[in-house]
Amino acid sequence: MLSSYDPSFDPVLSRRRCLETGALGFAALAVKCLLASEAKAAEDVDGSHDLRVRPGHFRGRAKSVIMLLQGGGPSQMDLFDPKPELTKHSGKVHTEKVEMFQPGSEPNRLLASPWGFRRYGRCGMDFSDAVPNLGTVADDLCMIRSMQSEHNNHTEALVMITSGKIFPGRPTLGSWVSYGLGTENQNLPAYVVLRDPKGYPGTGSTLWQNGWLPAIYRGTEFSSEGPPVLNLHSSQKLPDGARALDRDFLAKLNAAHRRNYPRESLLEARVRNYELAARMQLEAVDVLNLSSETASTRTLYGLDDPQTESFGTRCLMARRLVESGVRFVQVFPPVAHSWDSHKDSKKEIAAIARQTDLPAAGLIRDLKNRGLLDETIVLWTGEFGRLPVSQNGKGRDHNRNAFTVLLAGGGFRAGMIYGATNDVGYRAVENPVSVPDLFATILHQMGLDHDELTYTHHGREETLTDSPVSNARVVYDVLT
Amino acid sequence: MRLFQRPAAIIYCVTICAWPAISAADSPPSFSGAIRPILRAHCMTCHGLENRKGNLDLRTVKLIRNGGVSGAAIIAGEAANSLLFRRVNERTMPPPGELPLTDDKIDLLRQWIEGLEAGEPDVPLFTVPEIDPGAREFWAFQPPVRPPLPDIRGRDRARTQVDAFVLAKLEENALSLAMPASRRTLIRRLCLDLVGLPPSPEEVERFVNDSRADAYETLVDQMLASPHFGERWGRHWLDAAGYVDTIGDDTDATIAKVATGKWRYRDYVVQTFNADKPFDEFVRQQIAGDEMVDWRSAEAFTPEIRENLIATTFLRSAADETLQNELNTADIRHEVLARTMEVTVHNLLGLTVQCARCHTHKYDPIPQTDYYGMLALFTPAFDPQVWLQPAKRQLPAVAPKERERFETQLREMGARRDELTKPYRERLLEEKAKTVPEPLREDARRAVQTQDVTRDEIQKYLVQKFGPAFSVSDDELKAALGEDDRHKVVTVDKRIAKLTGEKSRWATIQAVYDLGPPSPTYLLRRGNHERPSFEVAPGMLTVLSTGESGALFRESTVAHSSGRRTVLADWLTESGSAPAGLMARVLVNRTWQQLFGRGLVETSDNFGLTGSPPSHPELLNWLSVEFMEGGWRLKALLRLLMTSSVYRQSSMARDARTSSGSADDLDPSKVDPGNLLLWKMPLRQLESEAIRDSFLTVSGVLDRTLGGPAIQTEARADGIVAVNPKTLPTPTSHWRRSLYLLSRRRYHESFLEAFGQPELTKNCTRRTPSAVVGQSLTLMNDSFVVEQSDHFADRVLRDAGPTNAERVALAFQLALSRAPSTTELEWGTTLLREQRQKYEAESLVAIVEKPEATSAGAEDDKVPADEESPPPKEPMQRALRHLCHMLLCTNEFLYVH
Repeated sequence: MLSSYDPSFDPVLSRRRCLETGALGFAALAVKCLLASEAKAAEDVDGSHDLRVRPGHFRGRAKSVIMLLQGGGPSQMDLFDPKPELTKHSGKVHTEKVEMFQPGSEPNRLLASPWGFRRYGRCGMDFSDAVPNLGTVADDLCMIRSMQSEHNNHTEALVMITSGKIFPGRPTLGSWVSYGLGTENQNLPAYVVLRDPKGYPGTGSTLWQNGWLPAIYRGTEFSSEGPPVLNLHSSQKLPDGARALDRDFLAKLNAAHRRNYPRESLLEARVRNYELAARMQLEAVDVLNLSSETASTRTLYGLDDPQTESFGTRCLMARRLVESGVRFVQVFPPVAHSWDSHKDSKKEIAAIARQTDLPAAGLIRDLKNRGLLDETIVLWTGEFGRLPVSQNGKGRDHNRNAFTVLLAGGGFRAGMIYGATNDVGYRAVENPVSVPDLFATILHQMGLDHDELTYTHHGREETLTDSPVSNARVVYDVLT
Repeated sequence: MRLFQRPAAIIYCVTICAWPAISAADSPPSFSGAIRPILRAHCMTCHGLENRKGNLDLRTVKLIRNGGVSGAAIIAGEAANSLLFRRVNERTMPPPGELPLTDDKIDLLRQWIEGLEAGEPDVPLFTVPEIDPGAREFWAFQPPVRPPLPDIRGRDRARTQVDAFVLAKLEENALSLAMPASRRTLIRRLCLDLVGLPPSPEEVERFVNDSRADAYETLVDQMLASPHFGERWGRHWLDAAGYVDTIGDDTDATIAKVATGKWRYRDYVVQTFNADKPFDEFVRQQIAGDEMVDWRSAEAFTPEIRENLIATTFLRSAADETLQNELNTADIRHEVLARTMEVTVHNLLGLTVQCARCHTHKYDPIPQTDYYGMLALFTPAFDPQVWLQPAKRQLPAVAPKERERFETQLREMGARRDELTKPYRERLLEEKAKTVPEPLREDARRAVQTQDVTRDEIQKYLVQKFGPAFSVSDDELKAALGEDDRHKVVTVDKRIAKLTGEKSRWATIQAVYDLGPPSPTYLLRRGNHERPSFEVAPGMLTVLSTGESGALFRESTVAHSSGRRTVLADWLTESGSAPAGLMARVLVNRTWQQLFGRGLVETSDNFGLTGSPPSHPELLNWLSVEFMEGGWRLKALLRLLMTSSVYRQSSMARDARTSSGSADDLDPSKVDPGNLLLWKMPLRQLESEAIRDSFLTVSGVLDRTLGGPAIQTEARADGIVAVNPKTLPTPTSHWRRSLYLLSRRRYHESFLEAFGQPELTKNCTRRTPSAVVGQSLTLMNDSFVVEQSDHFADRVLRDAGPTNAERVALAFQLALSRAPSTTELEWGTTLLREQRQKYEAESLVAIVEKPEATSAGAEDDKVPADEESPPPKEPMQRALRHLCHMLLCTNEFLYVH
């Protein structure tokens, strides 16, 4: 639990104490103690947790996170990690047998990148010609080239980059952050997901699940088309004022019922939720209404170009949500294309980069212009990287041994390139960073200690990073 | 939970960087540092991970020394005489087509073997941690003993022994049970708890006016005998077992990988609960049903054999991603095996054994060897080295012998057909071949006979040009047949079609059975399947066993099966034993949890040392012994609990009483605010299915059909998951009980999802009540809710008297099983009047706006359009819809009181 809590007021913690006492055999004492902790728990708003703001373990640099989840496995050697050796030996059989996932790479032949690279910014960070706009914000980015995952399948790796382990069922990063800190705006969810309204990204809502954390920490989908929240408006057309009459009637019935059940906190929560739902109907619509944005802002996000409009709209919404006090926003690219370049490293990457490069850069520039970048972490990440050898001629297969992520704001060291892969970009060799390491570092910037942010599940004190197993550690090198 | 330390690749890379150094120095390369990565990349997939070809396992030095069918794979110090080295060196391994080892890697292998010393121990000798002798003293690991009934003062309140135990604790705190609940409250409570549906107003009135002394007991028995009882209580079991209709991990909303016929297990569970089969037998059948009948050599499947095989679907609840070829890998196979064991133990014994996968359990006395001993019980059926993908694992519900007879008939028919058509075919072939120019004919024939991949360019051309001349299509053949032979062939074809049709209709069972002689089970270091340590014999949890558990394993009585799961079933159900006692406690506790909102052990998913101590330990023991001695019958247990005064007391704090009988000298909510002592009946939130089913019951459209394949759902692009209207078996199938909607790990039907349908990554032994804002939005605006309110309003309008007061009264009766109070009646009629005015005003506006309506006469339009019945419905029905809708949103409707 959070160290800043007074343990005597913490039902969970004191329950543990009770159990320790119970284990010593003082059963009667344990029951007394349990009764006392129940009394505290009964005061808790919905019996488990709520979303009110709470302090972290220490003062954090950042208040919110925007995760631009670039599913499919963006190719590090075609985007961020130039490899002259690959160009030099292109077509030759590589002596090291690479770990294949799908068929097509059996000949084990190296493949040069079809993209040219340039250095950008004062820091001279490399970007390929697929992502020139990200290059223009190079001096605000921290690039980690030595990321590693643990699985070569999209689902497992996506589950890992969102929840820290490869098998679904655990809470995601957004859930943990919301659990740890609550949220600033009680009329909006703490954790918002913006996906392409045309469909779900691969692996779907698993990527914003709350696992065994209470349901209020699950990511809430806001649609970038039509009504932002499911069931925000009635599916039937009602006369003006009809709903108000309904609510009034319902409130009277519930109030009468409450008189018989004065101490049931869930009943109270449910009554208040009808009010919150009504407030959300106003606030969510307001926050996601982009009409007040200036033409130059809209251009910055590419809203005037059909290619970039879809992802740009969601990036702009993400800024507005963060501005309104939402804690964690998870943004997905269009579903029509992905970074999964199995067949052609030129064409496939060109298609998805064209749609996402400009809005992502626009988001970072806009946050900076508004002074929000310092307190907002922007994370641009895929789930794994790609192989140095060719697949199906011009494509590349999945590679869990190396990938690159970009971070901006929130106290990450701007203009830094951290870690390195081997000469052909197959695996991280210098300062490898695991997904749990990355999460520990992000939590640290939010003011949370990844080993202290715990939740008891099945008798085990669970954490996001599970450091006794993963050896997760904060990567201080990438922080200012 | 899988516990990779770090990706193996990190270690791999370090060693590669270190190679030159190793070669330069004189010390031989180490196995774990240098050799293992080579074997892992080139050899281990077939030899140790996904297979054990030639019985050779290359995962450890010891296993390599043991070798396979060709003998030891290495001889220490003698590379030239070591099979492993020779095969690799002469390039016969890895087999052709695979990337061969480079010379420097082969040289490393040679150096390593040369440097090995004979008899060098490779596995550090593990000291198997013994469990602390005191560990067995923990309450949950002791077989329960029936305690004497406590002395209580308030004997008049005690109807059953359950009451005595609860009252004893209450009286210690100067408290007592609350006043009995009203009959109206009781019948609603009982119906929701036992069948998961609210009672009809007629049922309520009948019970309220039933003057017989045993009216309540009779009602309990009636509900227990309802065919819907099994639907309600079967659902609780399906949660605990982790049942879903799908196979894999279910991570794509739009693709539900439904396992054919898996629903038969769901129906089996429902029927088992309805039949009140003894629970020990139920457990035995699910764990080892396949080993209790000789299905492999049966002439035909009897109903008993079928049921036993269907019961084993119980062990198929773990997500099995190996249905996807790319994921049919050793790590995932081990994961499926581990999940299967962990879910079973968690469900039946309430223990979190998964902690012991990587290390000895930190809290509970479960050494790592116990974990792998238990794993060995499931290995014969889920053997990572002899794996079956899910589609191949399922069985047709037809005896193998019968299947063989079928296939023989089909083969015979095929042969008969070939025989009849052979002369015609040969003649046709001869004629057609003549259409090919003579000089090319033999070359073209050879080209056609050559395998596709080995044809040269000329042959490819010949095949393309003349291929059809060397084959005869069935149509050509049929046209050429003589009258008599055509008649014979048609007869044969009909027979073949009939047999094939019958075969395609064979029911499918998602059974579990041993795949063959089990592979050895090793303790895995840190749970990593690539790092086996010493071999572990099948065994049970030490802390729950007396003596050597190995002694339990005897010769299997069933051919082709190890009998290990039968031993597990025996161990779990042996009368008077510690495991049976724990299992009974877990089951009794979950039943209690279902009726009282919280288990006697609050952590119903954890009976280990970190779980909660029981609030009423004596009661838990008493009930567990009673349950076992009464023949493990759930209905008897439920009857006992539900006829108690504890269950029949009021849920309102104001009905609470102190032990002195008065209401005002002590505030129970201050003494015991969490109601742990049960001084009143706890208020409980209905589960997602019960809420949806109650909606359908109240609106009057519920389709009560029992059993059958799941009703398909679909995930729409807007995020809603709904019943798929295109695949409805009958027009009302979308209004079946929630149990019959497609059961997935996630992506539940949206209404169920909003109300906390659990994500079944593994299993769920406790539903968590919640009141998130999404529920309020759903209740207010969801199209299902709107639709049901509409049906509800239709029903009220149809069945109620002509006044608004009568309509409000019936709506309350239907939704809440009670009449409205005077004030509520006033609120209700006001709402009806005001909403009706709104709709009338709206229709007036609509008429005014239509130019052709202006001449119709405003006088007539002021009259409520009662006579009109076209859509949209009349204002009264629409106003009533609001009232009905709001009643379904009340807290009173969503909770059991």
